[in-house]
Amino acid sequence: MIDRTLEKIEEKRKNRLSWILAAPVLLWLVILFLIPYLIVIIYSFLTPTIYDIQFAFSLESFKRLVDPIYLRSFYISFRLAVVTTIACIFLGYPVAYYIARKTEKVKNILLLLIIIPFWTNFIIRIFAWRIFISANGLLNELLMFAGIIDDPLRILRTDLAVTMVMIYVYLPYMILPLYANIEKIDFTLIEAAMDLGANRLKSFLKVTLPLSKEGIFAGSILVFIPALGAYIIPQLVGNQDYLYVGQIIAYKIKSIPRNWPLASALSLGLLVLVIVMLILLYWFYKRVIKKENKLFFNEK
Amino acid sequence: MEKLILKNITKYFGGFRAVNNVSMEIEPGELYSFLGPSGCGKTTLLRMIAGFETPSSGKIFLGKNEITSLPPYKRQVNTIFQNYSLFPHKTVSENVAFGLQIKKIPKVEIQEQVMEMLKLVKMESEKNKYPSMISGGQKQRVAIARALINKPQLLLLDEPLAALDLKLRQHMLIELMNIHDMVGITFIYVTHDQGEAISISDRVAVMNEGEVVQEGPPEEIYEKPNSIFSAYFIGDTNLITGEVLDVKDEYVELKCKGSDNFYFEIDSAYHFIPNVGDKVTVSLRPEKIAISRNEPKRKDYFNIVPGIVEDILYLGTHTQYIVKVGDLKFRVFSQHKKVYVDEKELDWEEEVFLFWHDTDSYLINEVREEMLPVKNHEIPL
Repeated sequence: MIDRTLEKIEEKRKNRLSWILAAPVLLWLVILFLIPYLIVIIYSFLTPTIYDIQFAFSLESFKRLVDPIYLRSFYISFRLAVVTTIACIFLGYPVAYYIARKTEKVKNILLLLIIIPFWTNFIIRIFAWRIFISANGLLNELLMFAGIIDDPLRILRTDLAVTMVMIYVYLPYMILPLYANIEKIDFTLIEAAMDLGANRLKSFLKVTLPLSKEGIFAGSILVFIPALGAYIIPQLVGNQDYLYVGQIIAYKIKSIPRNWPLASALSLGLLVLVIVMLILLYWFYKRVIKKENKLFFNEK
Repeated sequence: MEKLILKNITKYFGGFRAVNNVSMEIEPGELYSFLGPSGCGKTTLLRMIAGFETPSSGKIFLGKNEITSLPPYKRQVNTIFQNYSLFPHKTVSENVAFGLQIKKIPKVEIQEQVMEMLKLVKMESEKNKYPSMISGGQKQRVAIARALINKPQLLLLDEPLAALDLKLRQHMLIELMNIHDMVGITFIYVTHDQGEAISISDRVAVMNEGEVVQEGPPEEIYEKPNSIFSAYFIGDTNLITGEVLDVKDEYVELKCKGSDNFYFEIDSAYHFIPNVGDKVTVSLRPEKIAISRNEPKRKDYFNIVPGIVEDILYLGTHTQYIVKVGDLKFRVFSQHKKVYVDEKELDWEEEVFLFWHDTDSYLINEVREEMLPVKNHEIPL
């Protein structure tokens, strides 16, 4: 009896302690994340004026979301995020796998190399890309020198440039969680699979890949979410014939006539896309397990 | 079933020679052990049979087919890994089904065979659990089932019991023997534990530094070690170095440093016959020496030596005595059987007699100068 009481007291004390420890972060999140989001939601239902807003309820912003211009923007933003994520998976997986199988010392050096680009400012790196892919930039010079092309290619200010730079920027965010995941895989499992008759491809598909899906999942989230709201990269290297959602939001906030409610509605639109994508990813993630299991002994 | 033949297998890792010119023939249905200390090349040899490593030179045959450089997935060989290597994302039954799924066998058939296998290893009730939810011994059984379901010609077991505790190890050892009897295929068992190897094997290959030191049935290896390494690695022994004084008919008289002379009977059938003046080593197992404070009266003991008890270690099933004989130290195991009811236990510093039959020892044609005749609980190799 006394033991039970003591246990309960102890449990309460532990609960209180964890609350105290979590409080600063919770406070931070509430003030800087939850409240601003609520403001965004409220703003999206207000009426715009040329400079800011008028406190009058309106659904106008949401009606404008289905305008083909904005739908097209959503589509190209979504497409960019999907292409970037998939390209990062395919490019990042071999790199992460390669690093994970190296010795401890080599691993650290290679990981450092992956992280080194972060030491240079993001904007500077994008400007470096602009110079690299411009009409008289290094890439074109090299291609012409090699005799592959006669006239410089137009790469800067195309969708290709946006995609290339996006992949470049977000690749480390895919490699790092993938590496963390693959590194934990017991490689004798691959030998076990081969011992049981699976060739290299099959043992990869049946053992390595299912065991690294958590890393793929985590990396995809880390790449997809920021890629969907891409603003600065399309702004600096994209063609400006049509705009990505991130760019439109920025315009509607800063350029006059302003439309803050529309910008809010657009960012909520992005949020919905993110949620949809997360659900899709989660469903896919679950399905991979199910498919692997193939419901063997389902009598239970 | 097919015979496994290894022909002059050598394996280098960089400049390190892990396996050196090993040749052996393993009969169908045999339970064969590779026994040796860590780093002796036994696991490398096993991995070459499984196909995870390719020999630097030499050939491996399974029956008439050469499998030297065949990838593991094309060999009719399956392995039980040291840490079992069960797939953590698959349940027990899915783990067992893996090999058959790869072969694209119809689902109904797979289910049948999986159930049969799980029954064999007594794991039917755990079939839907994941490996993380079952115990070490159970993982072991699943690993066995997962390998055997492929009906291999050869089952390779890489230190399969090393991760289990003592009681479970003894239990699984018997279970492994039963499974071997049931399925009747060739088992190759790799271990550093001489007890395991001796108790389950039909034949044992004692390995050291990449070479097979001795090969034969366990009794032969225990009773007739062909080298100091074999004698020392398997069981406990007293190694006595000396010079041959006299060879008369079937008897050898040995002169030891700092002690009386010893006599050994030798049989030309399985002993080497030394010449007078040869330096040899004699292996004398501690359990074969009798110890008593009374000098035996009957003359059927050729070797009777007086000594002083230096140390007594009670070990439950038997007691170990360290007895000083001249400059030598003998290790003696004595079971707790009393000949007379009022017999008193031996005590420290007591003067005793050690005696053994002249057939109890075994002559080894090898001498190590740096080695002391008896070292307690240490292997100076």
